[in-house]
Amino acid sequence: MQISLNHYIQSVERMYRLFDGEELSRLLSLRDVHVGNKNLRSSDIASLVEGNCVAPLDEVIICHLLCVKALHEKEYLEAYSHQRQCVVAVVRILQNQKEQNWCLPLMYTACLDLRLVAQKAEATAAQSEGKILEKAAESLLSCFRVCAADNRTSDEDTKRLGMLYLVNQLLKVYFRINALHLCKPLIRAIDSSPLWHQFPLAQQITYRYFVGRKAMFDSDYSTAESYLSFAFQKCHRNSHKNKRLILTYLIPVKMLLGYMPTVGLLEKYDLLQFLELISTVKNGDLRGIDSVMEKHESFFISAGIYLIVEKLKIIAYRNLFKKVYLEENNHQIDIANFQAALQMMGEEDMSSDETQCIVANLIYQGKIKGYISYQHKKVVVSKQNAFPPLSSL
Amino acid sequence: MSNNDNSVENGLTIHGTCMELCPTEEVTLRMKEKLVHVLEVTSSGHKLVKSFCRSAANSNLAVPRMLRPFGVLSDTVHYLLLELSNRTDVKMSVLYDFLDDRLRAVRQDMTIQRLPPEQCVILLEPMIRFYVYYGYRLYNHPISEYDPVLNRKHLLECIKWFLNCCDKLDSTQTVQCDINTIIGNFNSLDICKTSPELYYDRILIESLYILSNLDDIHPLHRYLALPGHVKKASALKLAYYIALANMNNNYVRVLKLSKHLCPLTFSVLSLYLPTLQRKALHAMSHAYNSKHLVVPVEVLKQWLAFNTLEEVRAICIHYGMSLVREKDGICFEKAKFKNNVEQHRQLCFQAKILQLKLDEVLSYTI
Repeated sequence: MQISLNHYIQSVERMYRLFDGEELSRLLSLRDVHVGNKNLRSSDIASLVEGNCVAPLDEVIICHLLCVKALHEKEYLEAYSHQRQCVVAVVRILQNQKEQNWCLPLMYTACLDLRLVAQKAEATAAQSEGKILEKAAESLLSCFRVCAADNRTSDEDTKRLGMLYLVNQLLKVYFRINALHLCKPLIRAIDSSPLWHQFPLAQQITYRYFVGRKAMFDSDYSTAESYLSFAFQKCHRNSHKNKRLILTYLIPVKMLLGYMPTVGLLEKYDLLQFLELISTVKNGDLRGIDSVMEKHESFFISAGIYLIVEKLKIIAYRNLFKKVYLEENNHQIDIANFQAALQMMGEEDMSSDETQCIVANLIYQGKIKGYISYQHKKVVVSKQNAFPPLSSL
Repeated sequence: MSNNDNSVENGLTIHGTCMELCPTEEVTLRMKEKLVHVLEVTSSGHKLVKSFCRSAANSNLAVPRMLRPFGVLSDTVHYLLLELSNRTDVKMSVLYDFLDDRLRAVRQDMTIQRLPPEQCVILLEPMIRFYVYYGYRLYNHPISEYDPVLNRKHLLECIKWFLNCCDKLDSTQTVQCDINTIIGNFNSLDICKTSPELYYDRILIESLYILSNLDDIHPLHRYLALPGHVKKASALKLAYYIALANMNNNYVRVLKLSKHLCPLTFSVLSLYLPTLQRKALHAMSHAYNSKHLVVPVEVLKQWLAFNTLEEVRAICIHYGMSLVREKDGICFEKAKFKNNVEQHRQLCFQAKILQLKLDEVLSYTI
């Protein structure tokens, strides 16, 4: 039961006149069943639609159907340029509709589709180096400007409610083309927005996930922890894939702050790459850490957590020294004993000076309570709580 | 789509036609207005080099006869850095200012003509060495003669541009392993050449990028994402390990590894030394915190690469520590450490670069 082109145009127009943004966006989505309808793939779409439908909606329909046609022909670059025109037409509609925002779902759909088509075009065009996605981001920004500028309308009807959705799409693009420096103004715009609690939870989660990753990239670990934790806790329990993604970043950050994940959690989310890492860090096994890092190098680098894993060595030092301390059962420990432990665990060329330097930093960071005596070459640790739990720091 | 964009770009590209170091119009104007720099007066008469001119409203810089094509730009860089830099009749800071300005004009010509990456790298690499060299040599000059902030700005601008070009070349070029390129490479190693040749050393620049941004984690992210054959170069690995040690404030290891650096990378690290020393002393003021215990001045000198015992004493007092035992020991107390005083400016003077001339620095490989 495939509807005719005329019938399709009429239903789109009807939804437009009924202010039904949801249904309208479905009819203009590239991910809806109507895309498979052969009747909509005429060779002369523009002349058939034009005059048959109210302006400026006709242009949206033309671009949309041209894009569908190009996709069927696997002409992804062409599909992408049609979808860009479609977004331009949608922007025009938005600009004309003062003090109303029922059209936002249409904008969401057009923008999401644009990003997906751009990704597809990017993958097929050799040597594009992210240029297509960069251009797509410009289109998304044009939508963003229209939304952000709508600041005189009441809180229910303002197009500013669409900002977060667009920012999320932009963040996805910027992460993909490795242009994280462009995220900053977007983050500032959202963080200063008074509408934060009115944005849908799903969008808030996506946003925090990306901003958390950005903070991690800038080595701001406590911010990263709070954003990623929010995302993980609020993420829907059935979104297994998303929860796993969040954990990939949350686990190393948490480890750095002294929280080790359970085996059950790692098994549940298929993140056993961390399992060996955890046991080596716990045991202060420096050689082990190096071999885990070598084994999972590509995973750690592609996830952008390689340097955090490198930082976990400090935790490993602390754990190793704690073992030496428990073994000695004395609150005065020879530097030479620490040095021997480090050498045994894989740092063969460790000198007495460098051992002191490592201990000095652990004391400075509060991970060991005590002081070093240079003359006696000893570390004197506090009689109580010499190695405070990392999570208490 | 993207092909279209490229052809449009190519269509807009301007090709310079000026075959002299300085366009004739500028020569006439500056001779008339008596704007000839003392370094442009040579024993064989005037030799002007195009000076930097800010793009302002109403001025059109994109005039082919005012722009020098790649070959001439390369000659200009050659002339500036290998010949003019030997002049000893002016102060070093005057020489630096002049060269800085003329190199900036070279970069401007490069930008306006949108030179391709393979040409940019060749022009930028010696400029980077130049900025590093003078950044160290002029460090202690008064601010009226030399501005370290501007030096750093120009240095980073060149480095980032250079690395950007390398990334573009990486993405277009598949590694060529055929016999002709290998023979070609051997030919370029010709050691019989009379004048030193300018060429580019990517590993050196990648290392400089890491070492000149030690407080920033992003160069390390970049390193990790580099193609394997670049990443494995031992000189670059050394820079990466130094940065890692510095990230964990392991000052002993940083300074131990620094002994293997080449003159240029070492001098970049030296500029960071005061920061490293300050951070180290701060950590030590917590770790060696005691009213009775002391750390010998001699040990501190050795750990933190100070020049003299006197310098150790002065700097420790600067940060609020006290001298004990006939000035032979430092007593660390965390409560007394002054974190709000200005950072000391003494530099590590052992840098090999002090014994080298600019042309020597321009031509070595690591």
